[in-house]
Amino acid sequence: MASVQIADVRKAYGSTQVIHGVDIDIDDGEFVILVGPSGCGKSTLLRMIAGLENISGGEIRIGPKVVNDVPPKERDIAMVFQNYALYPHMTVADNMAFSMKLRKAPKAEIEERVTRAAQILGLANLLERYPRQLSGGQRQRVAMGRAIVRDPQVFLFDEPLSNLDAKLRVQMRTEIKELHQRLKTTTVYVTHDQIEAMTMADKIVVMHDGIVEQMGAPLDLYDNPNNLFVAGFIGSPAMNMLKGKITAAGFEAVNPKGGASLVWPIGKAPAGSEGREAVYGVRPEHVRLDPNGIKAEVVVIEPTGSETQVVVRCGGQELTCVFRERITAQPGESIGISPDTSVTHLFDAASGKRL
Amino acid sequence: MIWHRSFTRNLIQVEIPVLLVLAFALAPFLWMLLTSIKPNADLSQFPLRYLPSSTTFEHYRTLIQRTSFPINLLNSLLIASGAVLLGLATSVPAAYSFSRFRFRGRRTLMTSFLVINMFPIVLLIIPLFVLMRALGLIDTFIGVIIGHSTFSIPFSIWMLVSYFNAIPRDLDEAAMIDGASRLQTIRLVVLPLVMPGIVTTAIYVFITSWNEYLFAMMLSGETVRPVTVALQLFIGEFTVQWGILTAGGTIIALPVTILFLFVQKRLVGGLTAGAVKS
Repeated sequence: MASVQIADVRKAYGSTQVIHGVDIDIDDGEFVILVGPSGCGKSTLLRMIAGLENISGGEIRIGPKVVNDVPPKERDIAMVFQNYALYPHMTVADNMAFSMKLRKAPKAEIEERVTRAAQILGLANLLERYPRQLSGGQRQRVAMGRAIVRDPQVFLFDEPLSNLDAKLRVQMRTEIKELHQRLKTTTVYVTHDQIEAMTMADKIVVMHDGIVEQMGAPLDLYDNPNNLFVAGFIGSPAMNMLKGKITAAGFEAVNPKGGASLVWPIGKAPAGSEGREAVYGVRPEHVRLDPNGIKAEVVVIEPTGSETQVVVRCGGQELTCVFRERITAQPGESIGISPDTSVTHLFDAASGKRL
Repeated sequence: MIWHRSFTRNLIQVEIPVLLVLAFALAPFLWMLLTSIKPNADLSQFPLRYLPSSTTFEHYRTLIQRTSFPINLLNSLLIASGAVLLGLATSVPAAYSFSRFRFRGRRTLMTSFLVINMFPIVLLIIPLFVLMRALGLIDTFIGVIIGHSTFSIPFSIWMLVSYFNAIPRDLDEAAMIDGASRLQTIRLVVLPLVMPGIVTTAIYVFITSWNEYLFAMMLSGETVRPVTVALQLFIGEFTVQWGILTAGGTIIALPVTILFLFVQKRLVGGLTAGAVKS
């Protein structure tokens, strides 16, 4: 096991720079998830840690050692690929034993480790099968088994669950997390799915256009997003965002339809921010039903049983709300809502930074 | 699409035309086979006699016992095997690099291999002959083998690149992360997976070299004369030894036919490999 330090790492293809100086410190045993929309550079960064891409600038350390010019085979890492990348001409057992055979480990040791990994992952009776005879979830487990047998310093996962169906994905999510708790190996995991990131990570790194937007514990990112991008990316359904101006009375939202503008309550505006152009953010789950609150027209109701997702229109804008209560109102009718002012957010309109 | 055709329509539009084409293509072979087992008396008979009055293998016997044909067969075997070995030794590494590395001039090189095949062989043979003479390679095995490589190597590279491309790069990367060197990756992961493609290519090169006439005629002499050239010598100025000629033709066609049966399915598979997601 080892820590991983990424210091001012850059990546350029010719004159196009895709990663612009990224700094990430990953502690020994930590489960870090790189998350972001496609094209944000998260997979490239992972491949740079693995040694599959050259590093154009900066430094990557695994443990105490700078690995910039170390080939993948000497980095002592294991990687699980999106499409599993199992060797089609080898049995499950041979797939898992491949790295140890290359290292010329004694036969007994190979067998012992493969058997143990197979037991952990429930593959014990599939060892003699070939990858083509396995289901998607089983292949995924073999890919993980191959990584476990290697007993590496660092596990790397490149969107490992995106080829699985929704139900299996939830199940494998739990399995990977359990596995990490059991083995305590430093893990870097790439996904574009923010729910995967929220549920599994010790630390989330939100990336966008080749830079780190914010990095921190899942709930910290949820509670205190640094900027509009993170605010919109973390949380589902996404945070409601209204453009407008901070006034003495609260937040005066622009009415895009040209009618009267609504004033939203804010907890306490940061000092000296009055009159500033800003964006007001409130998460759907932080809007309450309140007969005395802002009048809003119901547009769509989506009950899921445990909660009800409602799209409402007020002040010319549409908002998504999630209520624990069941809603009796029909589309077209009016309900009263009010945001929980202790958890509303304000961002600067120009820079997108949190105020 | 499901297509319901009536039996008669099917017969007229598909089966009869196909049978005609097949008959047209196979008739010379059948005629050759029949001629090779006819007694000499039947050959000169007029009007033409289609079926032999009795079957005989005397032409085969004459061919093998009284002519240099067995040696020519051996020559052909050596040349074709040599072309396969030289072809694979160069085109397997070349195809791997074309498939896996992105380097300057990659596209140009690939295209130029294709362009070579566009020139008529007749155009190529004269400079090649001059070159071989200067190098003293006329009438040597290596000379004819190199001659055949001029078309077999470009073809093999194109074939093999598509086979290599069908193997996901992730597998190479997984192997390298598992601790394999580049060469171990090739030997333990890539080559076993591309082996069907290599076998197919090898057989194809063998067949082409075995059947080749023009290069063989220009570059070989007494010592390394292959069967295709030897056969032609049975056509004299005044007489044609039909019996021996057709017996030789039959013997030459035999290994090719057998090998082709092995590869035909794979060959089509290789040309369309990667066209659809499997």
